[in-house]
Amino acid sequence: MSKQEFIESGILESHLMGLASEDEQQLVAEMMLSDVEMSMYVNDLEEDIKRYFAQGSVPPPEAVREIILLRSIREKKGRSSYHTEEKAAAKQYLDVEVNDTHMKVHKLWRPAFIAVFILSKIFLIAGLYFYFKSLAQQEEIEKIKTEMQLNKK
Amino acid sequence: MNELERAGNGVDGHALSMPQTLTSLEVYDQYGAMAYGIILQILPQVHLAQEVLVSVFSSPQLQSCNSYPFTFAACVIKLARAKAVEAKRRLTALAPAGPDYASGDMSPESIFDLAFRQGFTPEEVAGKLNISKNEVLRSFHEFFKSYRNA
Repeated sequence: MSKQEFIESGILESHLMGLASEDEQQLVAEMMLSDVEMSMYVNDLEEDIKRYFAQGSVPPPEAVREIILLRSIREKKGRSSYHTEEKAAAKQYLDVEVNDTHMKVHKLWRPAFIAVFILSKIFLIAGLYFYFKSLAQQEEIEKIKTEMQLNKK
Repeated sequence: MNELERAGNGVDGHALSMPQTLTSLEVYDQYGAMAYGIILQILPQVHLAQEVLVSVFSSPQLQSCNSYPFTFAACVIKLARAKAVEAKRRLTALAPAGPDYASGDMSPESIFDLAFRQGFTPEEVAGKLNISKNEVLRSFHEFFKSYRNA
């Protein structure tokens, strides 16, 4: 294909608008690399296409710019915090494989367990004490009732 | 290959005139209005068009325009069209559009309209109009040639 035929084929326009196939893109890249005049023609064509689409420009609402600004800030923050977190994690922890059946807990759990143990014993003893006391009182009441009935007779 | 992948093609190519590195916001300030105009031509629903516009300028593909062998404008045009066509396809999948194109108009303007604005591939346009793909591509050339000479 001669240079003129290639230009008139429309492959360049198709490529610049994102409509070209992979083979056509490859062909355009090769032609542009091998021919300076061709790359200059493509630059001119790009300008024409840009001018054509610039004619149909519509100013978007201001809010769209704000959204894009916020998104780009968030993206930057996300990227930087991910990197710093990654670095900090790499500094603080070593990958050690632990292979035992024990579990480590905080120091405060020891007095907490002791307090729970002592309280449970106190409640158990108190419970038993009041249970037997109420039993004794019940027996006493029964005894008094029978005595009163006997006295009435 | 979908529209976005197609738009990303050529990115790894050899740079002829290396464009300067721009942030998304700088690109938006320069080409936002042009991109919005393109998106509205493809997707006339204002709210949807604005969503697509945001997605164009928040897209990681926009950053790859920094290494695009052509100008930023060409990259933005491709990306805006690709995103708008994709959104239009999603929309028409939910609510199918009217009957297929049957006007038989084979002028470069209508062929360009079918391919660029209606979102059809050159092969699809060729099939619709019963012409060869080469004729479709030649129409693109004719279209911009007539624009240049106008």
